[in-house]
Amino acid sequence: MHHLLLFNIIDQIRSLGWSGAFELLRNGVVIGSLYALIALGYTMVYGILKLLNFAHGDIYMVGAFIGYGVLTAFGGALSPTIPIVPLIILMFAVSMAGSGFLGVAIERVAYRPLRNAPRIAPLISALGVAFFLESSVQLLTNSAHFLYDGYQLGGKNGNFGPLLNPVFTVDRIPVNIVQTLVVLTAIALMAALVWLVYRTKFGKAMRAVAFDREAASMMGIDTDRVISMTFFIGSVLAGAAGVMYGLYLGDTYFFLGFLFGLKAFTAAVVGGIGSIPGAMLGGILIGVIEAFSTGYVGGQWSELVVFGILIGFLIVRPTGLLGSHAIQKV
Amino acid sequence: MLKKVGVVAVFAALVSVVVATTAWGSATPRALAAATASVKCGKKVTIGVAYPETGPAATLGAPQWDWANFARKTWNKSHKLKLAFVRGDTQLAGNNPQAVQVAHAFASNGKILAVTGPAGSQEMEDTASVWVGAGIGPVSGSETRVALTRGSQGTPRETTPGYFFRTVPNDGQQGDNVATFIHKVLKKTNVRIIDDEEAYSQGLSAQVKTDLQAAGVTVTTDHISQQNPDYNSVIAAIPHNTQLVYIPWQVPAMAQQFFTQLRANGDKQIVMGSDGTDDPSTFKGAGSYVSGFPADTKSGGFAAFKKSHGGNPEMFGLPTYTSVMVNATAIQAACKAGHGKTTRTAVRKHVAKVKLSKAASLLGFPVAFLKANHGKFQGPGDLGGASAFGIFKIAKNGTYQRVG
Repeated sequence: MHHLLLFNIIDQIRSLGWSGAFELLRNGVVIGSLYALIALGYTMVYGILKLLNFAHGDIYMVGAFIGYGVLTAFGGALSPTIPIVPLIILMFAVSMAGSGFLGVAIERVAYRPLRNAPRIAPLISALGVAFFLESSVQLLTNSAHFLYDGYQLGGKNGNFGPLLNPVFTVDRIPVNIVQTLVVLTAIALMAALVWLVYRTKFGKAMRAVAFDREAASMMGIDTDRVISMTFFIGSVLAGAAGVMYGLYLGDTYFFLGFLFGLKAFTAAVVGGIGSIPGAMLGGILIGVIEAFSTGYVGGQWSELVVFGILIGFLIVRPTGLLGSHAIQKV
Repeated sequence: MLKKVGVVAVFAALVSVVVATTAWGSATPRALAAATASVKCGKKVTIGVAYPETGPAATLGAPQWDWANFARKTWNKSHKLKLAFVRGDTQLAGNNPQAVQVAHAFASNGKILAVTGPAGSQEMEDTASVWVGAGIGPVSGSETRVALTRGSQGTPRETTPGYFFRTVPNDGQQGDNVATFIHKVLKKTNVRIIDDEEAYSQGLSAQVKTDLQAAGVTVTTDHISQQNPDYNSVIAAIPHNTQLVYIPWQVPAMAQQFFTQLRANGDKQIVMGSDGTDDPSTFKGAGSYVSGFPADTKSGGFAAFKKSHGGNPEMFGLPTYTSVMVNATAIQAACKAGHGKTTRTAVRKHVAKVKLSKAASLLGFPVAFLKANHGKFQGPGDLGGASAFGIFKIAKNGTYQRVG
C-alpha cells in the first residue's frame, strides 16, 4: 500500500515535469499569500492579547462579501459601470475599511469586557462571534454562493478580461495579472505593517503593550486604543485578503472563512504565532506545501498534510519557525 | 474514595451506553405510540421537513426548503386540507448524530404524519430504524445511494421496504447514463473523475468509474474538499491526455468556478457535472455537460417558483417539491379513507400507492413508486416509469439543451 502510494507520487512527479512543478509552486505562493495576510491578523491579536481570535476567518469572509457588494453596486464583473482599476481600488478600500471597523466592533463588544477574565472566556467568546458572523451571513444570503467572475472583469461579452493577461511565463506556465496582484499586494501590505510596527511611535506602543500591558499602561500608553487599532489593522488585512480571494477564486459564501481561517491559523503557528515575519513565512509555506501535496499526492491529502503539520509543530516546535520563547517571571 | 469514584464512573458509563444505544438506533416508547395513534385530520395536517438548515451543507438545504415551502403554498391554495411544516435541521456533512436527533424528535411528535427528507443517504442509513419504529416512510428529494432501495451481492438493502421512498433517480441510474454517454456518444477514452469528498459525490464517482472501466475507458481519479475553492492545483495534476473531467458535485457555483479556473489555466478538457450542478443560472460553462432529471421547465409551477426566487430555479431542491406533494397526496387519501382520521401507518401505505401526474410532480414525468426490483439498479421505493436522468449540453448563451 505504502509502496504503491510512493510509486504513484514518483510517477506523478515525472508526469508533471518541471513545468508542473512550477505551476504548483505558483499556485502555492498565490494562495499562501492569502493565508499569510489572514495569519497576520491572528498573530497580531495573539501578540497583543494572547488571544486566538477564531472570528478572524469570518471577518475575512465578510470582507469578501463587502468586495462583492461594491462590485455588484458598480454593475458586476460582466458589465462594470466604471473603469476596472478604480473599481478594484474601491473594492479594496471599502472592504478594508468595513472589515476594519467590524474588527474594532467585535473587540469592543465581545473581548474588551472579558479583558481580565480567565483566558478561556475570550476564547469561547471568539468562537461565539465566529458562529454569530457565519449564521448572520447565512441568514442574510439564504446560504447562497456568489461568484465574483473576476476573470471576466473588463472582458467583452463574458470573455476573460485583462486580469488573466500573463505578466511573465516560465516553461510555458504563465503567471497572470491577478496572481501577481495578489502576491504583490500581500507583500506591500506586509511591508507596510512591518514599517508600522517597527518604525513608528504607534508601533512602539504596540510592542510595549505586547511585552507588558500593565507596564505600558503605567507609562501612559492608552492600551485600549492600541488594542482597538491592532484589531483594526488585522481586520483591514483580512478585508484586503477577502477581495483578493474574490478576484482570484471568486466563490463567496457564508462558510468561506472556516477552512481558510483554520489554514491561516496553521500558518501563524508554523511561522511562530506572535511573529509578523513568521506569519508571512508560514502562510507561503503552508500554501506551497498544500499545492504540492494536492498535485503530487492527491487532493484528499492536502488538508491531512496541512493539519498534520500543525499538530507536528505544536508538539515538536510550539514556538514555530520564527517565534521565540517568552520569558516568564516567577 | 477511589472506590466511590470507580463505582460512579462505571454507573455513568452504563447509563451512557444505555442512552446512546436507545438514542441512536431504535424508536422511543413515545414514538412507538405515535406510530399507531389515530390523528384527527381537521383543517391542517403536519409534515416534518428534515434538511440541512445550518452548517456547511446549508447551501444544499436552502433550495430544498424553498421548494418545500413553495409546494406547501401551492397545495394550500387549492386544497381544503392545509399543510403545516415542522422543520428539522440535520446539518448533513458528516454530522449524522444531528440527523438521528431530528428523526427522534419527529418520531415523538404525534402531529407529524409524514416526513420529507432527510437530505443525505448516510443520514437515512443511520435513521432507518427510527423511522420504522415511528411508522414513518420518509420521502427524500436528494438521497441517491443505490443500496437504500436495492441490495446487491455483499451489500444488503439499507432500508426496510415500505419505509423509504425517494423522488430522485438513484446513483446507479445516473452513473449508468453518464458512463454510457461518455463512452458511446462522446466516444471519450480518457476520463478524470474528481469527487468532492462527500458521500453523494463518492457514491456517484464509484458508479461512473466502474461503468467506464467496464467499457474499456481509462479512468483516473482525484478528490477535493467541498470547502476548498482553489482548484488550481487539482487542475495542474490532471494528466495531459485527459479528454473529459467528470465532477459529480453538489454545488453549481463550485462547478462554474472549476470550469473558469480550468479554462484560465489554458486547459481544454470537456467538463461534465452531475444533477447536483444542474443549475442554468449558475453553471454556465459553454460546451460542458450536465446530467439531471428532466424537470418540467415549461410548466406554470416551475415558472412561478423561478419568478418568486429572482430567476434562480434552485434545481437541486425541485425533487423536494415533489416529495411534499407525494406526502400531501398520501395524507389526503389516508384522511379520506379514515373518514377524517388517520395514522402514520395508513399514510405510509398511501405513499406507496401515490400517483402524481407530470403536471403535479414538476419532474417532467408522472410519479409512482416501484413495488419490486426493476432493471439493474431500482428497487421498491424508487421512482418508476420515465425517471431516468437526462444529459444536457450547455450552449454558449448558457442554456441547457438535452442531448441524451
